[in-house]
Amino acid sequence: MAKHRRIRPVSETVLLEGRNVWTVNANPGIAVRGESLRKFRGVEHRRWDPNRSKLGAGLLRTRNDPSLLLPDAGSTILYLGAGHGTTISHLHDHLCGAKNRFGGRLVAVDLAPRCLRDLTYLAEHRQGLVPVLGDARKFDAWGVLIPSRVDWLFQDVAQAGQVEIFLSAVRRFLSKDGIGLLSLKAASERHTEGGDEDIFAEAIAQLSSEVELLEHINLTGFEDQHALFVIRRR
Amino acid sequence: MWLWYSWQSAAVVNDEGDVLDVEINDARFSVHGAKERLQMIAEGHLPPEAVVLKERFPEAKPTAHGSAELPEFDIPQPTASQLQVADEAALLLAKEGVAVSAADPDRRLEHLLRASEELRTLHLTMEARLIEWVGLFLPSARFERNRTQVAGKLSSVDSLSAFASMLDVEDAYEQPSDSEWKSLHDWATMVSNQGRQLDRLEHAIRVAAQAHLPSTSALVGPLLAARLCVEAHGRSRLARLPSGTVQVLGAEKAFFSHLRSGTAPPKHGHIFMHPWISRSPRWVRGKIARMLASKISIAARIDAFEGTPLSQDDVDEVEAKVEAIRKEFSKPPRR
Ligand SMILES: C[S@@+](CC[C@H](N)C(=O)[O-])C[C@H]1O[C@@H](n2cnc3c(N)ncnc32)[C@H](O)[C@@H]1O
Repeated sequence: MAKHRRIRPVSETVLLEGRNVWTVNANPGIAVRGESLRKFRGVEHRRWDPNRSKLGAGLLRTRNDPSLLLPDAGSTILYLGAGHGTTISHLHDHLCGAKNRFGGRLVAVDLAPRCLRDLTYLAEHRQGLVPVLGDARKFDAWGVLIPSRVDWLFQDVAQAGQVEIFLSAVRRFLSKDGIGLLSLKAASERHTEGGDEDIFAEAIAQLSSEVELLEHINLTGFEDQHALFVIRRR
Repeated sequence: MWLWYSWQSAAVVNDEGDVLDVEINDARFSVHGAKERLQMIAEGHLPPEAVVLKERFPEAKPTAHGSAELPEFDIPQPTASQLQVADEAALLLAKEGVAVSAADPDRRLEHLLRASEELRTLHLTMEARLIEWVGLFLPSARFERNRTQVAGKLSSVDSLSAFASMLDVEDAYEQPSDSEWKSLHDWATMVSNQGRQLDRLEHAIRVAAQAHLPSTSALVGPLLAARLCVEAHGRSRLARLPSGTVQVLGAEKAFFSHLRSGTAPPKHGHIFMHPWISRSPRWVRGKIARMLASKISIAARIDAFEGTPLSQDDVDEVEAKVEAIRKEFSKPPRR
């Protein structure tokens, strides 16, 4: 049995171990959503479940260096469509760490009060996480919280018009050469004809006309009908 | 020319990105002060620094930070302490937003309605088991006409024999064991309590719907009004739906299958529960449903804008229309 699977560090706090991703727990002793906790070299890690996080799945699926999918620890990032904070919590482990020792800042926007209930709770124990109850499309309402452009931007809103929302966020908030990740849910687009492939092809065309498309990661198996697009702003 | 503003500073910028004037507030804000500023921006108001510049450059177009229209320029940055205070204020604002949403009548109604649906399903299942279970011991008892009373009666006695004599039927040939009887009795108690809980839930739904949807409730009854509102994902969405959609709300499965594979479109969803439709001959149901759906749309708009609710006269008028349709088409169409 592969008891000792190969361990590959992705960053100071993120590591790949076989088909698992782990992050150093910034809030020791506490699992956010029942994920396993485990010590590697005496340091507690949390398992980043790729079935519950498209970014987690992307780290396992990417054909490039997985560290290219992550922001620099200690930077400011923008996350649109925060959900209940599963992905956010691992990003926070990486970006901020315990007591925000890296000095990161994670602005997380979601429209659903139910999600914000979980995010504000998470923020109580995780310095550097800034939850915002707002609409990803209504930049004027919360954009002042991003005083200068960020180098990393993530969007997972699962609603119609995702690519357009993403591109306008990129225009406003992503720095030149900054990395943007778009999680696209085919079923959210109102297409009655044509399959998921058409929706993805259309998204690729739309993205390529404005930004440099670095990778199209198919998430089938982890999250069907989903893709993760990685772009760089020109 | 642009009037750029953030929550604590503002600048006048021309199309080339030259900063013509700037107002920077580098004061130490309290968390509360910063929160008020963030709220102000979110509501679309100008911060005081921008108001000052607006007086100096009336032609500059006020544009919040982050707008894609703005030219590239050297954006004044908040101080480190301001940034920290803004983050704390954002967290406070988010918490406030969550607290306010807890008072949202749409979401409260949804919980009440879903709870009652879930409990009703459970209740019917458990009641059916209860009746089979007792019937096994008392084969001569007949419960068809008073199913709903079985649980209450059984839970009020302390032996199966007492229950048999209460019903005036032959006692069990084979008595349940002591713990078996207790389990049966517990089951009956639970079913009987569920009945009471369902009544209470239904009452709460009526009260909530009459307050939140007075016109729609007056027109089709509070329970149906509540169901339509929840199905539409809230009062303001219900008010915006075309009446053709209101007519099929609750028949989503049939509706999407119609869109996708061209099966027959559903004629009515939840509104079919209403006796004006369900107690009409089938050949006029579609017509009445269409008429009623358009009236519901009107009522829902009145509710959403909190206008003067429909009066009994208005409702009577609709009922008269139902009667007129029934009369006009009293015979099935000939084929
Ligand atoms: C699939 S979930 C995100 C899951 C999350 N990214 C994760 O991996 O843990 C999509 C979220 O987007 C939010 N959402 C949808 N439309 C939005 C909008 N216009 N602005 C902000 N959030 C939105 C929903 O409330 C929902 O929580």
